Amino acid sequence: MQYSRLARQIRKIVGKDAVLDQPEDLMLYEYDGGVDRGTPDIICFPQTTEHVSKIMQLATKAGVPIVPRGAGTGLSGGSIARKGGIVLGFSRMSKILEIDIANQRAIVQPGVVNLDLTHAVESQGFYFAPDPSSQKACTIGGNVAENSGGPHTLANGVTVNHVTGLEVVLPDGRIVEFGSKANDACGYDLTGFFVGSEGTLGIATKITVRLTKLPEAVATMLAVFNTIDDAANSVVAITAASITPAALEMLDGWTLRTVEAATPAGYPLDSAAVLLIELEGLREAVDENADIVRNICMKVGAREVRLAANEAERQRLWSGRKNAFGAVGRISPSYYVQDGVIPRTRIPETLRHIDSVSKKYNLQIGNIFHAGDGNLHPLILFDPRDADQTARTIAAGREILEFCVSVGGSITGEHGVGMEKLNEMCVMFSEDDIEVMTRLRNVFNPKSILNPQKVLPTTRSCRETNAGDHPSLHGPVNASAPATSAHGAD
Amino acid sequence: MPADLALAPAHSIADEMKSIVGAANLVGPPVERRNKKRNRKDRRLGTRDEAPLGSYAIDEVVPVAVVSPGSEEEIAAILRIASERDYVVVPTGGMTKQNIGYVPDRIDILLRMNRFNKVEHYDAGDLTFGAGAGMTISDVQQTLAANSQMLPLDPMLPDRATVGGVLAANAHGPMKSGFGGARDYCIGVHFVTADGKIAKGGGRVVKNVAGYDMMKLMIGSFGTLGVITSANFKVFPAPLQTRTFVCAFASLAEAIAFRDRVLASPLQPMCVEINSPRAQEYLAAPAAPRDPDHHHAPVRLENYSSWNVLVRASGSDAVLNRYRQELGAAVTREIAAADEKQLWTRISNDEKQLWTRISNFEPTVIDRHRNGMVINVSVSIADVQSALQAAEDSAIEHNLLCASIGRITAGALVIAFMPLAVDPPSAMQFANAASSLRGRLPRDASAHVLRCPKESKSRFDVWGTTPTDLEMMRSLRASMDPHGILNRGRFLA
Repeated sequence: MQYSRLARQIRKIVGKDAVLDQPEDLMLYEYDGGVDRGTPDIICFPQTTEHVSKIMQLATKAGVPIVPRGAGTGLSGGSIARKGGIVLGFSRMSKILEIDIANQRAIVQPGVVNLDLTHAVESQGFYFAPDPSSQKACTIGGNVAENSGGPHTLANGVTVNHVTGLEVVLPDGRIVEFGSKANDACGYDLTGFFVGSEGTLGIATKITVRLTKLPEAVATMLAVFNTIDDAANSVVAITAASITPAALEMLDGWTLRTVEAATPAGYPLDSAAVLLIELEGLREAVDENADIVRNICMKVGAREVRLAANEAERQRLWSGRKNAFGAVGRISPSYYVQDGVIPRTRIPETLRHIDSVSKKYNLQIGNIFHAGDGNLHPLILFDPRDADQTARTIAAGREILEFCVSVGGSITGEHGVGMEKLNEMCVMFSEDDIEVMTRLRNVFNPKSILNPQKVLPTTRSCRETNAGDHPSLHGPVNASAPATSAHGAD
Repeated sequence: MPADLALAPAHSIADEMKSIVGAANLVGPPVERRNKKRNRKDRRLGTRDEAPLGSYAIDEVVPVAVVSPGSEEEIAAILRIASERDYVVVPTGGMTKQNIGYVPDRIDILLRMNRFNKVEHYDAGDLTFGAGAGMTISDVQQTLAANSQMLPLDPMLPDRATVGGVLAANAHGPMKSGFGGARDYCIGVHFVTADGKIAKGGGRVVKNVAGYDMMKLMIGSFGTLGVITSANFKVFPAPLQTRTFVCAFASLAEAIAFRDRVLASPLQPMCVEINSPRAQEYLAAPAAPRDPDHHHAPVRLENYSSWNVLVRASGSDAVLNRYRQELGAAVTREIAAADEKQLWTRISNDEKQLWTRISNFEPTVIDRHRNGMVINVSVSIADVQSALQAAEDSAIEHNLLCASIGRITAGALVIAFMPLAVDPPSAMQFANAASSLRGRLPRDASAHVLRCPKESKSRFDVWGTTPTDLEMMRSLRASMDPHGILNRGRFLA
């Protein structure tokens, strides 16, 4: 069998203990944080750029797919080997190679855990700004692939705003460098183009990231509302008042009660929604803006606005938000997280639409999201063993995303397209848009060996999608995985 | 491409273009123009451009036809014909940055974007804005100012520079220090590829990871990957009150040590700009064009011996007082709104004028020295000092004068080399000075020429050394523009 020979060759490159190809091992790498599945044939753990380069050459020669994988916390199936092949795990390329405070930069290997970098530099007054909810586990390589965001990216930007240079291995094994420690480099901004390409252009083996100065002052507030519209309108009013909080999160009543049951964070159980608002910066500016934000919320109709008096209170307010997904996981066999984005002014009507979708499909939908940048995370509760419910869940999710696009938004703000939202790409982009992107992918990854069938649908499938027909995109995908049939496309 | 097509006579290019955009939107060769009938409607609309072709020359290369398309479809039609017939196309906005890059071999079609000058969408409550590529930066800012908002993009000559041109050249101004570059707030882009595909990337929302990030690819691509037709931006609240703290230092080293203190402080200034001693001469007075070939008494340098760091901050009185307190004794002068009558903005005219002059540093230098060279240098923060010193040293070595400004917390510098008044420069002098500067820069740095005498351009690499990815860039370009019709020979050549 082709794969046993490949596995032998890869063992020669990375060492015997760095290759897995037994079924019981492969099963552990079938899934990520999303709902799609696919079984790889080989998992290997390169330790150097040269390892990655040699494995890429082997795979290209053999015509076998390669799928890079960080911590597997992705939510759109980005690290799923949907066509089988080799999964490259980066847990052994997890060194911080350089911390350069004078330049406000660090150079890391892709397997470095997001929060570990912050821990390594915070004593010097710096941190790594992108903070996905999975930051205790997710890797910076994965952040680069997905262009990850997080609650605090509202003021500071997402991953691409914090990456200035990359060392990349291309499918043919070539090792190239994009960018540097400087903000700009001569020629095309390949660094910027690469970030968010979801492992379809190359594999980053060294990442030069920007380090951000820790703020002098932080104010964390909880605004409590009796109606969800008042909360949504407060977000609109805060944005209109020219205040950019570091974070501006919203939980609806159902979600905050679920959260309180698991992690008591002090959210009032009888409220319809809460806003978690964080301001950062110069002490004088934070104090002034905290007053303004409080007044806006009260004027719009908040029941109360609490300001965390100390770090412990601050952490407690955040604990509810950060553990929200886990809290929902306690009460439902599974949930489907959406990642649509809308213009912030459209939050009230979008929440009403989600409510109507919930009723239409008879599904519980919790709303917890980055209100400040209009990035929604509706959580649709379902039981994957119930085929009918699963189908309704998928349909509801798609309807919500289509609504987001119809009001001028996007199908994904930070989770990526992956394999989950391939069809929805056709809702946002024309055939020509996708054809141009495909051309560019083919420059880097001409045979689509790297992370095949991700991000870019075929134009043929787009035509079919837009005609109202949703056939499975690329034939059957591992029929044994329960959720796959639901999420493959149909 | 068959040779007879490539050598198609000039009037046939103009005829083909006329059939797409109409006579009113075309400036063709003189023989064509005589046959044109001017009608009053054209004059009223101002779409008819009567300027002769020569006024559109780039590095003295005169275009065969100057075309102002009115829609993406017209651009696609023009580019399809150009690809088929091997016509070289130069897209352009206000023509403020066309001196960048090598001298074009030829320009068959100068594609003016002046009719793409409208607001595409403006959602003030959402702080998002979209504009046609041909809209000037001044018009953008004026539109946003109606809602006390702004785009933190302050490049030179904003009355002429356009959205598309600024993105294509990745032009920057002093606000890059505080807000980052266009790549940090451009959220969507529409463009037409050289083979006539109308495409887009991104969208209208501030957070979006759907599809490849086409904005990053188009920004700084100098029109070689496609013609940008419109762009969407995240916009920002305009500051109600700002203050500029001017801090003068006896040496570059002291100025940089001060910058390091600012970087280590909790302050978050809008701008942190350096002015070299000689740069202050150009920033001090309004640009008075002088005939460069005529002798002028040299300006005494004694007046400008300090390295100045300018810190611009915005916020309430309390916030600005905090800046004063943190910056301490280093502050030699404050420029603020003292006049009660200006309370409605709380930004003084003096302050506005100062920052406008900094933005316009390059044209000011060139107005005074027709034979000058201006270089855009990008370095890491820690290399700013050595880069500025390298510029001073390289100028001395090659008998030139040097004036530098730049965004020293972002590593984005603008360095000008001027000939001595008594010594007409040779073409090689600029080439040598640029090479000498590059030789002194660290490996991470890049330095591309924004402007230099045409004669010098053939003598050195105006783009500078390129890293290992040049091959990749050329392949990308070939995928978007297979025949190389867009800005042929000028970028990544």
